[in-house]
Amino acid sequence: MKVHDLIKNSPIRVFEESINGGLGKGNIGVLASRHGVGKTACLVHMATDTMLKGENVVQVSFGTNVEHTMSWYKEVFKEITDFKSTEDAVEVYEAIRNRRVMMNFSQENVTMEKVISSLKSLIQDGSFSASSIYFDGYKLVDTSEDDIKKLKMFSKEMNLEIWLSISSNDINASYDDYGIPIGVRTYFDLIDVVVGLHYNEEKSRVIMTVVKDHKKNIPHITGVSLDPKTMLITP
Amino acid sequence: MQDITKMRNIGISAHIDSGKTTLSERILYYCNRIHTIHEVHGKDGVGATMDSMELEKERGITIASAATSVNWNGFDINVIDTPGHVDFTVEVERSLRVLDGAILVLCSVGGVQSQSITVDRQMNRYHVPRIAFINKCDRTGANPYHVVEQMHEKLKLNACLVELPIGLEDKLEGVVDLIRMKALYFDGPNGNIVREEEIPSHMLDECKNRRQMLIEAVSDFSDELMEKVLEGEEPEVELIESAIRKGTLSLSFCPVFVGSAHKNKGIQPLLDGVCKYLPDPTEVENRALDLDDNEREVVLKSDPERPAVILAFKLEDGQYGQLTYIRVYEGRIKKGDELVNTRTKKKFRVGRLIKMHASEMEDIQEAECGDIAALFGIDCASGDTFCGGKVNFAMTSMYVPSPVISLAVFPKDKKSQDNMSKAINRFTKEDPTFQCYVDPESNQTIIKGMGELHLDVYVERMRREYKCDVTVGQPEVAYRETITQKSEFNFTHKKQTGGNGQFARVAGYIEPIFATPGSEQEVKDYEFVSEIKGGVIPTEFIPSCDKGFKNAMKKGPQLGFPIVGVKCVINDGAYHPVDSSDMAFQTAAIGAFKEAFAKADPAILEPIMKVEVECPTEFQGAVFGTINQRRGMIISSTEDNGNCVVESEVPLAEMFGYSTVLRSMTQGKAEYTMELCRYAKVPVSIASELKSKVKNNAD
Repeated sequence: MKVHDLIKNSPIRVFEESINGGLGKGNIGVLASRHGVGKTACLVHMATDTMLKGENVVQVSFGTNVEHTMSWYKEVFKEITDFKSTEDAVEVYEAIRNRRVMMNFSQENVTMEKVISSLKSLIQDGSFSASSIYFDGYKLVDTSEDDIKKLKMFSKEMNLEIWLSISSNDINASYDDYGIPIGVRTYFDLIDVVVGLHYNEEKSRVIMTVVKDHKKNIPHITGVSLDPKTMLITP
Repeated sequence: MQDITKMRNIGISAHIDSGKTTLSERILYYCNRIHTIHEVHGKDGVGATMDSMELEKERGITIASAATSVNWNGFDINVIDTPGHVDFTVEVERSLRVLDGAILVLCSVGGVQSQSITVDRQMNRYHVPRIAFINKCDRTGANPYHVVEQMHEKLKLNACLVELPIGLEDKLEGVVDLIRMKALYFDGPNGNIVREEEIPSHMLDECKNRRQMLIEAVSDFSDELMEKVLEGEEPEVELIESAIRKGTLSLSFCPVFVGSAHKNKGIQPLLDGVCKYLPDPTEVENRALDLDDNEREVVLKSDPERPAVILAFKLEDGQYGQLTYIRVYEGRIKKGDELVNTRTKKKFRVGRLIKMHASEMEDIQEAECGDIAALFGIDCASGDTFCGGKVNFAMTSMYVPSPVISLAVFPKDKKSQDNMSKAINRFTKEDPTFQCYVDPESNQTIIKGMGELHLDVYVERMRREYKCDVTVGQPEVAYRETITQKSEFNFTHKKQTGGNGQFARVAGYIEPIFATPGSEQEVKDYEFVSEIKGGVIPTEFIPSCDKGFKNAMKKGPQLGFPIVGVKCVINDGAYHPVDSSDMAFQTAAIGAFKEAFAKADPAILEPIMKVEVECPTEFQGAVFGTINQRRGMIISSTEDNGNCVVESEVPLAEMFGYSTVLRSMTQGKAEYTMELCRYAKVPVSIASELKSKVKNNAD
């Protein structure tokens, strides 16, 4: 199987269909759920797909451990290529590695302005023309509206797709039926796509529900879900 | 007679500028080996005692490992100060080979840095049990707790604090011993007097918590301790200590000490820790190869009554002649004993036997198994094994990385030339990663090594120690050549006109050896497979084909660099009952390889370095820029507290002079480390540039 087919047959295509063909440049998308449902893997899967398409991505994380995220990328790539044997897996892996930069911040000390300025200097000084940015584990509940506006402006200015995976760091936070922390609703107007992830015991799958789709606010279940074993998006 | 259980051979290794040398200096001072303390970058101009080479004092880095013996509370401790710069890792590796345990020094501000990871990996390779010391707790931004977390995450060490600092940064007063639950203060102008007090009341709860964490962490290593913990009893100090020791020796636990070597805090408890938790020579299993028995692996026993087995791990050219650092693994040696160098089979007598204390020496009468000592005037190379009695062992070969950079050196006059060959002869014996050859085409002397600084230091040593006036050429990268697709060959070597004829035909294919994605396993450089059936090539000539391919791979046709990553398969051929010979098949294999190589879409590989730059965040953009300009690939960037660490992969060819650029651009506030990461294909445009350069040179 060629890279071309790998992209064509990716379950991400099904997911994109359910959000009107994709997020689109200059927009912000959010994946929300409780802790440990599979946001990171899902985000990495989306990023890997973008990299396979030949585009550059930046993965932004807010912890102390870059290696952790790197190993996710390795795992996800293995899973994708193990399913369908890719002829020149080594070369593909080498190539997509070049299309990814990890940026790591400890959020307590870093402001949104700083994050954006670092991203800008990477894209401009480092000549890394990214097409999309993936924020993993962003504490959206704790940020101000102003921060999201800045991020939105940044995505428009640089013509980027920005995906955030978010959950609440408050153990007692309440979530709605789709897996979205209640606090996030405040920012709904500023976000273009919101996808909730929650585990359905009956089906033993993680269901992905599109709660906001660009201008539409009607929840609908996507044609894909997460396999709880690999945490990958599957049809 | 020494008590071998009271002997410790330890090393101190860490990231550059973590304060290893300062720590070693303090250890010497507290063990009464030296009577005043000199700083590495000290104003008195004396320099630290361990950095005995003139150059080291000037640059503030430690180049060669100086072995020093000290005595602490009845324990004989041999300390090896290891170099911190990556260019000198072979020194680190060699010292680790002879050590039984190590202190991993970490900076409380910088935490686990790239080289700490390299050093830790090396320690794992040689199964060296270690204890950690978080140094520089007096520095602004010190956070030892964060460093312990990093040890878990980045080094995957089961690390746990056995001490807590009392105050941090400029308020660092002393440490709390969590096992005995006592506060320790270091009084006197140089912290010589250890004063024991009760724990300050505001720290008591924290200390109790941390002690609980420690006990839980080590209870896995002692059933007795586990029982006490489960029954809620207070375990005895000895019980906790023995559990820590057990965990440390099995490499499944790492006790962490804290302090500040510069401020003389926490060194004495660390020395106690060395004696308590690190192994004595009998507790470490060492292996050798029996040369009389087809290199069968044998386990050495630390028994002074057995025949002597000694490893020469370091050569140094002192003012009195060649000094050979040795470790005795088995048996004992005395002055006048006869030993055999098992590599050269030459016999020699032990002359002067000494113990080193940095640059001063002490004569000793004998050395026993486990001990580290030095011999005078022995002709050998480092890594040689000496044996006494009837045994014929070789200590297992040490891992030696291949050089990545080369440099042409030209002596100015005849005298310099003589001195240069003396110097090079010495250096190549001392350091296996430093190599030298004379290019037959240009007649230039080429030296090869692990990096710019590595070669710089040797050139500088030639000038200073051997008084030879040399100029150097541009550094050159050690490229490699490879193939990217399968290609077949069918080659006949025939010369049957007059005299002895030659005939051989080989057929088969060559193909690239690929790595599996994401696997850490190293790819083989060469593989030979014979699929010959029915004797179309007689069995005795199959090794000749192997030899021929190997020869052909020594020098690639594109740039003249070695060829790697090729699998050669032969599946057909022909021979002549009279005219076929070993030589004929070798020549045929060489011809076949050349034929197939051209068709196999050859490529050039270049060394890619893992470069880690640490700088204040305001220079982040500039650093990104420099990496980008150098065909580099940014892997990650981590920001914390106004500091950022940019990790990237950059071709070595682009890294020449990087330190100067970085320094001037960031006002000297950035530092970087670099080590070989992998080989990767050179982009087509640059490859053709290289090829035309080689062609021009040849013309």
